[in-house]
Amino acid sequence: MLRRLIFINPLRYWFLAWCTLGTIGAITLAQQELTKLREAFETDARIAHRLLSQRAVQHEAILATLALLQPKHDASASVQKLSTLYPQILKVQRRDKNAPWAETSLTAAEVISRTTGRAALAEVDFQHERYQLLLSAEPASFALQMDLRAVVPWSEWPMPPQTSPVRVTLEHTGQTLTLQPGRINQGGWRFEFHKHLAADSQPFDVVAVRQVGWIELPWAWMLGWLIVVALSLIGLFAMARQRQQRLRAEELLRLGQIARLNTMGELAAGMAHEINQPLTAVLANTQAAVRLLSDRPPEIIAAQDAMAQAVDQARRASSVVTRLRRIIEKPNETKLPEAISLKEVVANALHLLEPELQRRGIATQMLPNEGVVTVMAEPIALEQIIHNLLMNAIQALEQVPLAERRLDLSIHADHGQGILVMTDTGPGIASDVLPRLFEPFFSTRTDGLGLGLSLCESLANRMGGQVSAATHTPRGASFYLRLPLGLA
Amino acid sequence: MSTSLSPLIHLIDDDEAVRSSLALLISTVGLRVQAWADPATFMTTFDRDSIGAIVLDIRMPGISGLSVLERLMSQNVDQPVIMLTGHGTVEMCRRAFKSGATEFIEKPVNDEVLIEALQSAVRQHVKSRERHHIDRAARERYAQLSEREREVLALIVAGLTNKEIGRALDVSPRTVETHRANLFTKLEARTLAQLIRHYANLVDETTA
Repeated sequence: MLRRLIFINPLRYWFLAWCTLGTIGAITLAQQELTKLREAFETDARIAHRLLSQRAVQHEAILATLALLQPKHDASASVQKLSTLYPQILKVQRRDKNAPWAETSLTAAEVISRTTGRAALAEVDFQHERYQLLLSAEPASFALQMDLRAVVPWSEWPMPPQTSPVRVTLEHTGQTLTLQPGRINQGGWRFEFHKHLAADSQPFDVVAVRQVGWIELPWAWMLGWLIVVALSLIGLFAMARQRQQRLRAEELLRLGQIARLNTMGELAAGMAHEINQPLTAVLANTQAAVRLLSDRPPEIIAAQDAMAQAVDQARRASSVVTRLRRIIEKPNETKLPEAISLKEVVANALHLLEPELQRRGIATQMLPNEGVVTVMAEPIALEQIIHNLLMNAIQALEQVPLAERRLDLSIHADHGQGILVMTDTGPGIASDVLPRLFEPFFSTRTDGLGLGLSLCESLANRMGGQVSAATHTPRGASFYLRLPLGLA
Repeated sequence: MSTSLSPLIHLIDDDEAVRSSLALLISTVGLRVQAWADPATFMTTFDRDSIGAIVLDIRMPGISGLSVLERLMSQNVDQPVIMLTGHGTVEMCRRAFKSGATEFIEKPVNDEVLIEALQSAVRQHVKSRERHHIDRAARERYAQLSEREREVLALIVAGLTNKEIGRALDVSPRTVETHRANLFTKLEARTLAQLIRHYANLVDETTA
């Protein structure tokens, strides 16, 4: 069954993912910042409006108090004391009953105040930061001249007046007074606040404006986010690529195994045909000869010809076998034995078979040994032997219940030989099987080729070693691989 | 006609040694063998009228034995075909029989199996040729009958008596008697049993 490879998108999709995630994150960060700034702006503007409204109400109260107490003209020290208590009051004017106001604007305001019954604005001069507030009363009416800048309670002001980016102005009938200059940048987002003072006598419009420039966005955070996303994606990409490479390597290995099997199959089929043809001729010739000789009278000459042909065909079959041997044995001629650590090769083979072992729930244990055992062997041949022995053990262990599957390995040196012992808890080896175990084409499995252990033996023999087996009671088997010790 | 000679076996195999040894083996039982190395030459030149059988190897270079078999069948070659194979799979065997092979034998060949198969194939072929021959002669004679005679024959085959036939065809039993005599002469039948055996099928064919 073909396992599907994970498809890794081309690099541009990763770039696209980075752009998308980066933009979404950056926009979210910017929006959060803007929301925060807007809330702060609105809070400040509301506080400023409330403070100014309180002052305006205070002015109404002062006028009402003056109208009620009716202090004497100029003589009253308490009237002049007002300016020291309230620095915004520049001057207090008084008009006695039936006397005229000094200014006509005051006279007009007197009329309005009388009809509405509350304080009225007389003169508003934002250019000189002045305005006059008047309350008509009996017997005397009073007017206050105010310093607009002093009206602002700077000590309680929610913003630093010089450095705050918020511009605060008072507006009244086309006149504008800037209380706080603020910083108005070009472009970006504009927050505005408009509200009349909460005192009907002084209906000035408090206007606050905050222009948030591009520069004020949380660029550092946004950049940081982009970097975080980029790093995460690079990490993911690396992981995906690594995984793909691993899968590809596994796939190649598997394909290699299949290819090898196919080659084996092809070889076997080819060989079968190559040998079958001469065998057919040998059989047909000899059978024909038997028939010719049993004729009455026997046809001896024809039978001789048939037998001669049979001999030729038998030789042909034999040459096919010789040719096969040459093909198979050639690749291993040049390999020379070298000193290798037996333990390392075993560990390597176990690592390769790890998935097989795990899938079957086989517990393997490497028994500790003293020192490193180095043997003289051809690395590939040795790996092949150990691999085959392990496969053999795995197949044996498949026949016993899961809980009883164990495979112990141990390595030791003895009499100039490095010895690997593999003991499994499988069903063991029947006594009639044991002597034939290493025969070629002998297998207890129905689908077995019977070449695994035989190959182990011939490979070990070629390196000057042996493979042997022993069975245990009540069950289990041990396989021994002996190889000449190498120079450590 | 070639039927007067002993049966001829066509042997097609690309391997010279296999060909000559099998030819020798087959000839020991008195069958004539004609060996062919090349299936294409065989297809174009072999004697299609000869009595005998064809022995065909499945694995040959250029053209597979199975496609040779399929072509022979499509050309209505009536010689029985025996297939030889080195390693017969069930699938291959199934295909061979489906395509019309008579036998399927694995190499190396056991002499008794092969000879038994060949002899039975030859017997089968001879019989089928004879049957075919009789059929053809019968058909020719049957074609000479008049419409009325065919009707009478059909009723005879159906097992009716002369009286019943007369009633069925609305003629007198004497007239039926005359038709009956003509039928036996024209169809060259001596007994009623012969008449029915050879012509019952033809009557069924034409009336069906």
